[in-house]
Amino acid sequence: MSPRIRVALLALSALILLPCAAQVIAGLPAFGSTIAQYGARINAITPEARHVANMVSAINFDLRGLDTLGEEFMLLAAITGTVVLLRGRRGEGMTGRAMHRPGRAVIPRSEATVLACRIAGPLTAVFGLYVVVHATVTPGGGFQGGVILASGTLLIYLGEGYTGWRDAIRSHWLDVLEGGGALLFALCGLVPMLTGAAFMQNVLPLGTFRDLFSGGLMLVENLGVAMAVTGGFTQLFLEFMEETREAEEPDEPGEESA
Amino acid sequence: MSAVTNVLPYAVAAWLFGVGLYGIATSRNFIHLVGCLGVCQSATYVLLLGLGYRWGSIAPIFYDHPPGTPAVDPVMQALVLTDIVVGATLTALLLVLTVQAYKRGGSLDPGKLRPMRAGGQTDRDRSSDRGRPAA
Repeated sequence: MSPRIRVALLALSALILLPCAAQVIAGLPAFGSTIAQYGARINAITPEARHVANMVSAINFDLRGLDTLGEEFMLLAAITGTVVLLRGRRGEGMTGRAMHRPGRAVIPRSEATVLACRIAGPLTAVFGLYVVVHATVTPGGGFQGGVILASGTLLIYLGEGYTGWRDAIRSHWLDVLEGGGALLFALCGLVPMLTGAAFMQNVLPLGTFRDLFSGGLMLVENLGVAMAVTGGFTQLFLEFMEETREAEEPDEPGEESA
Repeated sequence: MSAVTNVLPYAVAAWLFGVGLYGIATSRNFIHLVGCLGVCQSATYVLLLGLGYRWGSIAPIFYDHPPGTPAVDPVMQALVLTDIVVGATLTALLLVLTVQAYKRGGSLDPGKLRPMRAGGQTDRDRSSDRGRPAA
């Protein structure tokens, strides 16, 4: 199909769909006038019923925990697919360097960069952990905190170079984090059934409202999500960077810091 | 509120979706195509957050405000969170497919994509060296 026909087809379908979309938008409640009953009821009941302050976490980990379990395994499947597709074409004899264009001069890393990364890296990790553990109290949670933790590992790459990054980040640890997180989440659903409760029923003590230890089972699920997201996203970075490594060439002087 | 603000977020969502769709339909590069898909997806963020918003409401987190304060719809926010996570992993997976398509076909142009044959060799591998590493 030539591009011109494709655009013509798109314009034709837009011509048909646009009035329909306009009709639907006109039928929606006016922006900002009201919210759905379901959300309003959750806001009214959940702080009392689950002792959590963050409604979004309450929905993700408790009220609609089953959906998050599906999302968790979708994450796992997508990352497994990425790893399977990228691995297998690699061999020995690669340089210990990634993200480098062959033939371009290698500039030694400045000490200021190393220092900044060594200071910012642990701080990022601490902030990520803070966001993870306060999931039920303040904005945040396993997904957001996990992504912050994963990006914190990239600072190791920036400061220490690719070899240092690979030394610090072991691929099999990431597998354990990712799979273990998903397993932990699944167990959170299954273990309550052993006690005679429903799937993913919140059987742990609910704790104190506005306290770090509130929400019961949500805290464990949240930890599982954080592990899976941290492991999964770091695995993605690793696989993509691994992809940019070139075959071994005769070394040029002054390359070890690149 | 005026008639414009009543429909503006929904119109923005529709526009974003349309723009992304146009980009996908006319794309000449897989990476550009993945980016356009991201634009389409951001339309869903705008739509969901727009549907869940209510004037004069707080975020659905009752830490500084006591429970019972009017808050926006938390279900939509949870959905957007899911949406973002799904979008990020999907983008990664599509970029991997892009890498593989480039390795096999030597081109990032969707129009030049050929069916894969047994043995993994396409016509392009023999007739064109475009995009091959120089080494």
